[in-house]
Amino acid sequence: MRKDKDFLDILVCPMDKSPLELTVEEEAGDEVIRGYFTCTQCSERYPIEDRIPNFLPPEMRKAAT
Amino acid sequence: MTTEQTIKEEVRKRYGKAATRARESAADGGCCGGKGDGNAISSHLYTTDEIRDLPQEAVVASLGCGNPVAIAELREGETVLDLGSGGGIDVLLSARRVGPAGKAYGLDMTDEMLELARENARKSGVTNVEFLKGEMEDMPLPDASVDVIISNCVVNLSPDKDAVLREAHRVLKPGGRFAVADIVTRGKMPSALKRSLELWAGCVAGALSEDEYRSKLSAAGFGDIAIEAVREYTADDAASGGLGELVQRYAKKGAEHLGIISAVVRARNAGGADTKPFAQTSGRLPEPIPVVASQGSVCGPGECC
Repeated sequence: MRKDKDFLDILVCPMDKSPLELTVEEEAGDEVIRGYFTCTQCSERYPIEDRIPNFLPPEMRKAAT
Repeated sequence: MTTEQTIKEEVRKRYGKAATRARESAADGGCCGGKGDGNAISSHLYTTDEIRDLPQEAVVASLGCGNPVAIAELREGETVLDLGSGGGIDVLLSARRVGPAGKAYGLDMTDEMLELARENARKSGVTNVEFLKGEMEDMPLPDASVDVIISNCVVNLSPDKDAVLREAHRVLKPGGRFAVADIVTRGKMPSALKRSLELWAGCVAGALSEDEYRSKLSAAGFGDIAIEAVREYTADDAASGGLGELVQRYAKKGAEHLGIISAVVRARNAGGADTKPFAQTSGRLPEPIPVVASQGSVCGPGECC
């Protein structure tokens, strides 16, 4: 995913719809390769894996692993 | 796991395999080579002009039952969200229509499809698209943030369609449009036949009837609801999918149509001043868009190849 302002502004926590904070762990140019979003309300973390943010609800992420 | 999770896992598995098949088949120049144009559901949906510049993998991975972009009346600068974006074909087509000032986002829960979609976006050079992993029952988008929601034969896969429609209504701006292709049932049919036809059409969680769709959209807050048949599947279609015997046993004698259709479902978030209805189509939409097959279609989510 790109660090595009329009895109970042449009993302919220899928559970409580609160704003998210982005933490970048690896990037290339304007693209985030790895990192995570943290919900400013419930503190749930949503990982960015291989450039794609994963907003599956926590229990689905666990079921999938 | 709950029943809902089991259904989602099944969907994820099927579509994960389909993404892998699409990738292999594009590399081989078409998967179902000897089988004509693929299945009756996913073939002949896009025009040559539409798919000319798209990566082969995006075209081959298309498991839709319609062409939502063709009916969404997209305008430059709009923000579009595709529910269940798969290999990304409808997101890429939307991105072209809304232009550089607009955005097209794809939401999907299958890793293999997301990976394929991202590669396809890179190959086609569009920059106004992004793909998100997530569920359409819990969308990671704020209220009133999207102009148009499209989807291609995916709402039927959800075990909680009320949640999907409620979320769709929430993220749409007032006046925002819902323009979705989906499999819908019509009239009554024996349950054994209904279930088999649904599985043939890839409707893992069960298709809604026209009336159910309408009342669920209305309960979610939508107005200007219109459901129009694009294709009505025939006994021959089902026979080509291996259901001939079943159809003979259960379908009404001599029934040409089976009560399962691909439809366009349109509605509007009626919360705003812009409540101009969609342009009227003349009763039915143009019949199967005169086309070129989505070459080597993967033959639906069921097994093929």
